[in-house]
Amino acid sequence: MILHPVDTILSLVLLSVLFSYGASRVPGLIMVVGFQGIVASMVPLFIGHDMTTGGIIFTFATLLIRGVIIPMSIYIAIKKVEIKREVEPIIGFHASILCGLGLIVAATFISRQLNIPSISEYTLLLPTAIALLVTGMFLLIARRNAIAMVLGYIMMENGIYLVGTTISVRARHIVEFGILLDILAGVMIMAIILQNIKRTFDDVDTAHLRTLKE
Amino acid sequence: MVEIIFLTPFLTGILAFFLPKAVGRQLLVGTGAIHLFLSLLLWKNRPQAYFDGYFAVTPEGLLSLLVISLLFFLISIYTISYLEESGIQKENIFTGFMLLFLSTMTMVTLSDHIMVMWIAIEATTLASAPLIYTHRSSASLEATWKYILICSVGIAMALLGSVFITLAMDIGNVDAPLSFSSLTNVAKTLDPVWLKAGFVFILVGYGTKMGLAPMHTWLPDAHSEAPSPASALLSGVLLNCAYLGIFKTNKIMHAAGLNDFSGTILIVFGLISILAAATFILKQNEYKRMLAYSSIENMGIIAFGTGIGGIGVYGAIICMIHHSLIKSSLFLSSGNILLGYGDRYIKNTGDMVRRMPKTFVAFFGGFAGISGFPPFGIFIGEFFIIVGAFRTGHYIAAGIFILSLCVIFAGFANQVMKISFNSSSDDSGENLDSIKPIGLKEKASMVWPQYILLLTSLILCFYMPDTLYQTIIDAVAALGGGFK
Repeated sequence: MILHPVDTILSLVLLSVLFSYGASRVPGLIMVVGFQGIVASMVPLFIGHDMTTGGIIFTFATLLIRGVIIPMSIYIAIKKVEIKREVEPIIGFHASILCGLGLIVAATFISRQLNIPSISEYTLLLPTAIALLVTGMFLLIARRNAIAMVLGYIMMENGIYLVGTTISVRARHIVEFGILLDILAGVMIMAIILQNIKRTFDDVDTAHLRTLKE
Repeated sequence: MVEIIFLTPFLTGILAFFLPKAVGRQLLVGTGAIHLFLSLLLWKNRPQAYFDGYFAVTPEGLLSLLVISLLFFLISIYTISYLEESGIQKENIFTGFMLLFLSTMTMVTLSDHIMVMWIAIEATTLASAPLIYTHRSSASLEATWKYILICSVGIAMALLGSVFITLAMDIGNVDAPLSFSSLTNVAKTLDPVWLKAGFVFILVGYGTKMGLAPMHTWLPDAHSEAPSPASALLSGVLLNCAYLGIFKTNKIMHAAGLNDFSGTILIVFGLISILAAATFILKQNEYKRMLAYSSIENMGIIAFGTGIGGIGVYGAIICMIHHSLIKSSLFLSSGNILLGYGDRYIKNTGDMVRRMPKTFVAFFGGFAGISGFPPFGIFIGEFFIIVGAFRTGHYIAAGIFILSLCVIFAGFANQVMKISFNSSSDDSGENLDSIKPIGLKEKASMVWPQYILLLTSLILCFYMPDTLYQTIIDAVAALGGGFK
């Protein structure tokens, strides 16, 4: 079996997924998410069914925003307001990495079963997308640092983007546009709230956010 | 041109950010009036949309749109007085986002394209999050954080579901526009497995936004921390918008002959929501949270009715309209209580019948309506749903349904009685001084919107205009609903 070039870069993403389970500090996690964002936005170029000039420009704009602008601005933000760098795990790192390994195996197994015709030649596409999605959710659940949670959310969106833009050509641009809008506005508002959390509690540990229950 | 109806509040909303307070308030009511006028016009003419594949005027959309317009107009009148009394900081941000919120919700009711629907529903989250954070307390911060994170993740699931539906088209070799109406026409040729997967993800995603348990955890926090006019909008119309997404997807499922599958899931989620509301409403000590749990209950009822099918769908739509009217009036009244007593806990209120008589009438009337007393619309809706459940043989589900409604009624009544009649703190006479004076004069503009909402609901029980009745029948016919 010959690996398609797409699969080669996707294998790096899978590795970075594993890394994100073990990342203990926020800057490392930001780099990982940025890398995944770049690769996820590049993949449609390789699978491009019929690329128009507008489409290519749009893809590059997406790449710039997801891969560079958003991670950079988060990085600058945490430098500026001196937010704590530890991700405050609820589930420990060793257990997390083990979870990650199990997940990748499971994702590969499930993707084999699904058998989607339009992407069957790219072996790693679906496993990577599933892995990104679940890892994002894992970070949302198992990390208490609010920035790690936002990064988890972005990772999840990366996974959906990978599926959404490759599985079907039909709605591709509107999916791209939607996710882009979502991630831009969503992350912006999250950042504003984060700043306020930091100002109110002098920390971004979500353990402080425990007054509202039931 | 249909699109003008959501572009107007969008433009005025952006304008409101830069205008002084007084102008912003006028703008709020003015836009509300224009919006109501436009939606009545739309209701009468039912024109084609300019962007045809993306927007369309559908019966179920029209129903939600009219509810949104009416509610927003009345709420905006209330909001002016509320803003004067409550002293919210950065008022132009509040009014601006109220208008943007109106714009995004209107867009949801008119969107026909699956992805545009998704974008519009996500936009409602983004436009309403700043409203919840209006009071700038640490509790409202937490509520906003929870709201935006849980809803964004939920709606991401809905996006995945929408992608699965496009996959169902590819596998079924269907070449049609990706709009709800055209998909309903070709539903039989879609791949059933991926369609089912798509429906489940969309239900979980939009269900999060609609407040179905167990994804409801953001709802009580957001509704209790937002300023009362915003709570009224959140509960009265935002939840309906999310329901609209589920309703339209369910239409595709029904056309594809998979309504047993989708119905069962809707019944299960509906019952879980009603049960969750029944569990939590009993021990609530804040009145706005109590109202929020009542919203979860009603969304459960609506999902349950939709799942039952037949006459149940008709009941669900009736419940949806009346819930919007009554619950928004209750939330506005709760704003008066909050301003009057200056406290959000039930134990610190009491004796409202004498201390705030006008608000009492609105609050108690709303309570009677929402808990399903016979003349009110919720009663009629629930009655149809129960009849539908028995007709289709869902005896156990109907039993759980009725039992939970009784529990909720008991819990709700207990708390409302405390707020209205409890005079524990002043009948002994000695701690009379400790009672704070009521900090609110009950102005006409702070009670009449509630009265009008309740009256509208009451009138609709006895007299329903033919065009409204026909629109409801058209909407439910696509789900096999109606009186047959």
